[in-house]
Amino acid sequence: MIIALCSTGDAMESPVDERFGRAAYFLFYNTITSEMVSVINEAKTAKGGAGALAVQLLVNNKAELLIAPEVGPQALDALKKFKIPAFKQGENTTPELAVLAWGNGSLEMIKDPGNKGLHKV
Amino acid sequence: MMKIAVLSGKGGTGKTTVSNNLAALNSDAILLDCDVEEPNSHIFMNPRIKGDEDVAKDYPVIDEEKCVHCGECARFCHYNAIISGPSATITMKEICHSCRGCALVCQHDAITYKQREIGKIYSGTSRFGTELVYGELKTGELSGVPIINKIREMTGEEHSILIDSPPGTACSTVAAVEDCDYALIVTEPTPFGVSDMKMVVEMLRTMKIPFSVIINKAWLGDREVYDYCREENLEILGEIPFDRDIAEAYSTGKLIVECDPKYEDIFQSLWNKIHFIGERIHGC
Ligand code: SF4
Ligand code: SF4
Repeated sequence: MIIALCSTGDAMESPVDERFGRAAYFLFYNTITSEMVSVINEAKTAKGGAGALAVQLLVNNKAELLIAPEVGPQALDALKKFKIPAFKQGENTTPELAVLAWGNGSLEMIKDPGNKGLHKV
Repeated sequence: MMKIAVLSGKGGTGKTTVSNNLAALNSDAILLDCDVEEPNSHIFMNPRIKGDEDVAKDYPVIDEEKCVHCGECARFCHYNAIISGPSATITMKEICHSCRGCALVCQHDAITYKQREIGKIYSGTSRFGTELVYGELKTGELSGVPIINKIREMTGEEHSILIDSPPGTACSTVAAVEDCDYALIVTEPTPFGVSDMKMVVEMLRTMKIPFSVIINKAWLGDREVYDYCREENLEILGEIPFDRDIAEAYSTGKLIVECDPKYEDIFQSLWNKIHFIGERIHGC
């Protein structure tokens, strides 16, 4: 399974990013091969629709699951349509720790949208 | 006649106080409340509504039968309002700007457009005789620009126009201020007031719209706004004193020009100054 993570850097040990749509990097971690691909988030500076563009990035990279701080209403809707479940990274400080926590079943699923990033255009 | 925009760096700095009092004193002007997320001029102007109009916007609908999920439309959309993957292609109507470009790039004829209502425009005559037009954006909608454009289209050149524009420097503010002859920035003498105001100053300079500053609740806070205006060579066209009567009038839905003749003078001389400047720079 490919897990998408929000990171401030390009490594599994980098600090997690506190934003989804405007995260600096997305890391795509393959739980079967343990390989990781990092992608710079071009939507970081997008005027609007950063959440949507991030979902597009996830889809392009075949992500099957997302671990994020929170997800806005539109992006959450889009994730549902692409059948990508989202989990809260919670107190985990790095993508690596977040993946471990997910493996332990200790992450909470994101059911309701957050609106920290909600951007007026 | 002159088109005058009233702006502020953020909400609640007295933008409505300025635009509404000016409009109340000049019944041959038309007041356009373009602050469509939070219109409140109708509370003070109390218009008899003569007409209302829905404002609708296009959004794309994808025909599942025809779509091959090639992703062309998603790559094209400047606003990221379409997401396309191997199993689905979806559109996000809240983000869509109705440019209709996605249907042009789709090689499979899979995109058509539908309309949805995003708000309403009301017009009527206020209790002062001034015409008022105001728009209201539905809650949850992100962009009031189509409503503002429509409000702006509704008025001709034969009356002076006062525009209560959205606060800040968003697209909606630009739409409200575009091709105005003059702008008034309303600000309060607080440090926050200055930093928000700077962005508005930059925006107006980029748009090449002449403007001056009105200080609301003058003498209440510090001197930073005054220092900033001096440094940037900005004209302070008027000051509205900090006065308990204003807050009191405001809370009962009244305008200060109704309560105190002193304010009639303040606002009428403001109006005269603006038109004097208008004649000087535009000949209008
Ligand atoms: S361009 Fe047309 S066919 Fe391709 S994904 Fe978009 S709607 Fe579907
Ligand atoms: S109409 Fe324009 S803005 Fe709307 S989805 Fe299509 S390309 Fe994007």
